[in-house]
Amino acid sequence: MRPLLLLLPFLSACGTPGAAPTDDTPAKEVNVYSHRHYDTDAQLFKAFTAATGIRVNLVMADDDEVLTRMEQEGANSPCDLLITSDAGRLGQARMRGLLQPIRSAELERNIPPFLRDPDGHWFGLTMRARVFVYNKNKVRPEQLTDYNDLVRPEWKGRVLVRSAENLYNQSLLAAMVAHFGTETALAWATGITVNMARTPKGSDTDQLLAVAEGIGDVAIANSYYVGKLMSSSEPEKAKARENLAVAFPHMGPYGTHVNVSGAGVAKSAKHLAEAIALLEFLVGEEAQRLFAEGNKEYPVRPGVAVADVLQRFGELTPDTLDLAQLGLNNATAVKLFDKAGWR
Amino acid sequence: MVVVVTAPFHAPAPEWSHVYRDVLPMHLLETILLLGGTVLLTVVIGVLSAWLVAAYSFPLRGAMRWMLVLPLALPTYISAYTYASLFGATGTISLWVHDLSGFRPDIVGLPGLIVVMALVLFPYVYLPARAVFASGLREQLEAARMLGARGSRRFLRVAVPLARPAIVGGAVLVAMETLNDYGAVKYYGIRTLTTAVFRSWTGLSDLGSALRVAILLLLLVVLLLWWERRSRIHRQQATDAVPMVRQRLTGKRAALATIWCLLVLVSGFLLPAGKLLLDAFTIDRTDTWAIDLIALRNTLGIATGAAFLTLLIALFLVFILRHERKSWTHGLVRAATLGYAVPGAVIAVGVMTAAGTIDRQAGLSFTLIGTIGLLLYAFTVRFLAVAVQPLQGSLTRQHSNVDDAARMLGASPGRIFLRVNLPQLRPAILAAAMLVAIDVVKELPLTLILRPFNFNTLSTRVFEMARIEQLREAAAPALLIVLCVLPPLLFLDRQLARSEG
Repeated sequence: MRPLLLLLPFLSACGTPGAAPTDDTPAKEVNVYSHRHYDTDAQLFKAFTAATGIRVNLVMADDDEVLTRMEQEGANSPCDLLITSDAGRLGQARMRGLLQPIRSAELERNIPPFLRDPDGHWFGLTMRARVFVYNKNKVRPEQLTDYNDLVRPEWKGRVLVRSAENLYNQSLLAAMVAHFGTETALAWATGITVNMARTPKGSDTDQLLAVAEGIGDVAIANSYYVGKLMSSSEPEKAKARENLAVAFPHMGPYGTHVNVSGAGVAKSAKHLAEAIALLEFLVGEEAQRLFAEGNKEYPVRPGVAVADVLQRFGELTPDTLDLAQLGLNNATAVKLFDKAGWR
Repeated sequence: MVVVVTAPFHAPAPEWSHVYRDVLPMHLLETILLLGGTVLLTVVIGVLSAWLVAAYSFPLRGAMRWMLVLPLALPTYISAYTYASLFGATGTISLWVHDLSGFRPDIVGLPGLIVVMALVLFPYVYLPARAVFASGLREQLEAARMLGARGSRRFLRVAVPLARPAIVGGAVLVAMETLNDYGAVKYYGIRTLTTAVFRSWTGLSDLGSALRVAILLLLLVVLLLWWERRSRIHRQQATDAVPMVRQRLTGKRAALATIWCLLVLVSGFLLPAGKLLLDAFTIDRTDTWAIDLIALRNTLGIATGAAFLTLLIALFLVFILRHERKSWTHGLVRAATLGYAVPGAVIAVGVMTAAGTIDRQAGLSFTLIGTIGLLLYAFTVRFLAVAVQPLQGSLTRQHSNVDDAARMLGASPGRIFLRVNLPQLRPAILAAAMLVAIDVVKELPLTLILRPFNFNTLSTRVFEMARIEQLREAAAPALLIVLCVLPPLLFLDRQLARSEG
């Protein structure tokens, strides 16, 4: 580690461009660590700056790395607002003491209770549902009403899904663990593994294209990838979607599994008012509409329309499970995947 | 590095029994298959191409000689994505083949990934093998010829064994690149030690187990390095720097040689790069070129800075190696270069932990994390090996007699290094700086995690698009990466070619 010490003077000379290191600087800005990489977000931040004069400084990286970074930065962390795309990670951030509780009538009014932390440590901004996408020519929608339908023997060799490495598969199984316990969840993971059309590989979009090509007949995929494929201008994707339709499976007596992309104010926030202003802006009508239209996510704010490409396949009835459960059961879910042989 | 190595001994690893029993066996097995397959195939492609180019004349040979290094300009993950978009189950070419013949090619899987990786990484073997074949073996090969050995026999029985240290050196770099890859293996659905690190860390929220797996990864690398050293000992070094006389190939054999090189070049570079070019200019892009240009500027900035810093530290290390005879210092230097095989994200955690500790101990009012300085330091940790290797190689060729003479005249080791060793090292320093710069331009995870606010590089741009499954939008920054890497790469090739005569 000696070279590091030698470098200390050099490092401190560099400073942190963009981030105000002390709180007596009056500059209106807010520092965001985000896992979201979408064009819509860039547009939204621009609109926020235009409306409020508050500059948005951004670091985009993966959730777990961002949490480690905040932890190591400690009280000196320049981060004001943490945005992730998983409720589980938000729950973890809270448990690790990285977030602070926020009271805001605006946020509480516009976000349904099951989509935010009861104490205000984090707030859901958009929902993404784990849905079925099937080949219209080979499957009737009545066959696909429950996640459990896919473990029946009639689906052997017909199910497409990506690797268990994928977060949304993990949170789907975590929800099952929360509702029904480990045994039922393991039985489901094992059943799906048996019925797979091929070993899991590629992205969600690849699973949809594979359904269109007849490599399998049904895929488990994230709703906003479905929405994007359904509205893509690329010729292969436009051709693929002719055969595809979407089903919203239930989880037993509960609704369709959803996870949220959400945000929480950092404990170390030096720009508290600005961070809250940005949060409120992101659940405002304009922002929620852009999330829905631009990125095909489900808005959390009641009354904001869902993107047409998704709406025409039916209504989403989300499972209202306490989302903190996703984080609490994530490790169990990963272990069950390993036991089931779902790579 | 210290943090990564020591952490497992004091960090709790609550899920270790699960990782050990249900994760490690399959992940270790697939790692070894991937590693073995990729190394074997890179050696075959690299050595065969190097031999053809060095020993024979055939049509297009001159162009092929330098063009065969081009695949190194493509980051592995970009090539892997591009290949999947062409030859995956629903790739463009696969769909077309399926329509014609009913057969559906699918490159996405273990064998496919081995081929894709080998096609990108083989220049690591090709370059050193070519250098040895071209200038180091003339006498031995002449002797073999006079004893009546045919071309293929001279190649297999004389040239390859004599070039073994060079080939193994290249193969070890290939192995390290294969081990630290995360993007490509994840997309191709392969379970490796690196994905096990991430599974433990992000899936099981168990950083302790993740670091233990990382240690296992390091052990594998130590094993590889030991193999490399062994291949150097007891081997006669090819030393006569007399350029080889090339034999002219004619007719069918000349055509075969040309076709082989073309095939390697097309599949390793022209095809994926062509696809990127096509995507970059057919996709609907609004104002993103402007963002890419800023990213380009940032990329060049950190590449230059990291090359500079890494070279300083690498020179210090080779100085120690040269003038300090204690064996433990040599061990320490070697340990400092292990970073190359470690997944970037693991190094990032190590560097952040170290910086966080310093922040707290020193009571700083701001954090080192997120400074350009720390990012550059992290690059140094990761790419030190890349700089140390050529420097050390060049230094060991300098005779120690000169050092001894200088010492007898009363010069201190520092002065000897500066006045005697350093001037002769100049070409190697330049080469090492280029190699580090190339790696930094292609690097992703460290930059992603440790960057300051509002700081994009070309590779983070590619990643942001690929992450949301918009691979075509990623083509433009990917292409810029290739363009950035080409000049230093071609410079390196020319420098080597000059030494080949």
